[in-house]
Amino acid sequence: MQLTRDSKVLASALVLTFLLTGCATPPPDTSQATKSPVQATQQKQNVYTGSVVGKSNKAKTISISVGKDDQAQTMMVKFDDNTKGLNFAEQGEAAIITWEQRGEDQFATEIKPKLAKLPEGVTEIKVDEMYALVENGTSMTLVDARPESRYAQGHLPEAISIPVPKLKKMGEKALPKEKDTLLVFYCGGPT
Amino acid sequence: MSTTNAGLAKKLGYTNIRVFLDGEPAWSKAGHPVYATNTFVREGNIVLLDLRGDGSPVKGRIPRAVALPYDELDDRLDDIPRNAPVVLYSNSKNETMEAYLELREEGFKQVSLVKGNYQGWVKAGEPVVKGPIFTNEIKWVRQLGKGEVSVADFRKAVAGELPNTFVIDSRTKDEIAEFGIFKNTVNIPLDEIPKRLGDIPKDKRIFIHCSSGARADLAYQELLKHGYDVKFLLLDITDPSCDCEIIKP
Repeated sequence: MQLTRDSKVLASALVLTFLLTGCATPPPDTSQATKSPVQATQQKQNVYTGSVVGKSNKAKTISISVGKDDQAQTMMVKFDDNTKGLNFAEQGEAAIITWEQRGEDQFATEIKPKLAKLPEGVTEIKVDEMYALVENGTSMTLVDARPESRYAQGHLPEAISIPVPKLKKMGEKALPKEKDTLLVFYCGGPT
Repeated sequence: MSTTNAGLAKKLGYTNIRVFLDGEPAWSKAGHPVYATNTFVREGNIVLLDLRGDGSPVKGRIPRAVALPYDELDDRLDDIPRNAPVVLYSNSKNETMEAYLELREEGFKQVSLVKGNYQGWVKAGEPVVKGPIFTNEIKWVRQLGKGEVSVADFRKAVAGELPNTFVIDSRTKDEIAEFGIFKNTVNIPLDEIPKRLGDIPKDKRIFIHCSSGARADLAYQELLKHGYDVKFLLLDITDPSCDCEIIKP
């Protein structure tokens, strides 16, 4: 990456991209996580953003995986009848949990779904159009962005496997030479 | 992940990028097929079903496949483990697809097809076996996931036969009052674990259970974070294979 006077803006944009990323599991990330740690910490005070590990109605707790890679931690908060948006705390879904300290416990006050946002200029494909593209043999590179084990078990016809860490490492070597090739990415669903 | 990749590709200069945001779950839910890699078919911990009912499996089949003719699928649904990845093939694309749809409709979540069916497998130069088939039994054993303790080890621990092990029952006090507790076990409900770390020895191996494994998994994550040597039991404790002695209230 070139260092320009815009690099700070770019760094923030990257952080934003990863906050808005579109899959159930937060993408493992090594290169960008360190770009703006202070900013990230400040944003995350009393807020946990990540993938819901599980919810127990009996214990009235929600566990959520926060952070990337080695830094990933599972945080546990309690909830009660006043917690808003409990239905968004579904296992595997990306959520934003706002919490407050009550005595020794952290209580979730509100849970919101973390919605996926597409990078500018990138458009979404719905399942019927996807099916048409595959059936018509449209010339494209279809990329499964999930971990390789998921790809191995079951993937779309003609899809190739490029998990996020692989694309980060290999860059354009992992993709077709022609930059105007239609690239279609998919994973395990939006959240 | 798909949007992350799309963002990366955009930075690399690609100009024609789209994202199928609803992804694989929407694809298979709409009744479209997903395919296993040949490596997964060769080596994965799977149930591989050969649906051909014309006797051709004897002449050549994929190693480890169980012959289960499509006509018998309905009758044998209960023989197929529900949490196993199931991979299907036959000679006919339609037949394979119908079996795929039926299994999905029956609630099997991890079903996929061999690329190009049996013909595709042979064409790809993958190995085949031939000869008489002696059993149609589906044998599949779930492999322990990350952080899981085996039922055998867990039983030893609650029987007091595993030294240096501390077993936690993470159910609520009410559940224990109603159902009892295993021997050699300490009750710390899941929600109390963060504030009761002082009660959990750092120098021992920790096993955690609850009623099904869901809360134990969360408790496991919590203790892992605090540096414990910890495993959890993913099992319905009323399952006969547990067979652990219960102290009744």
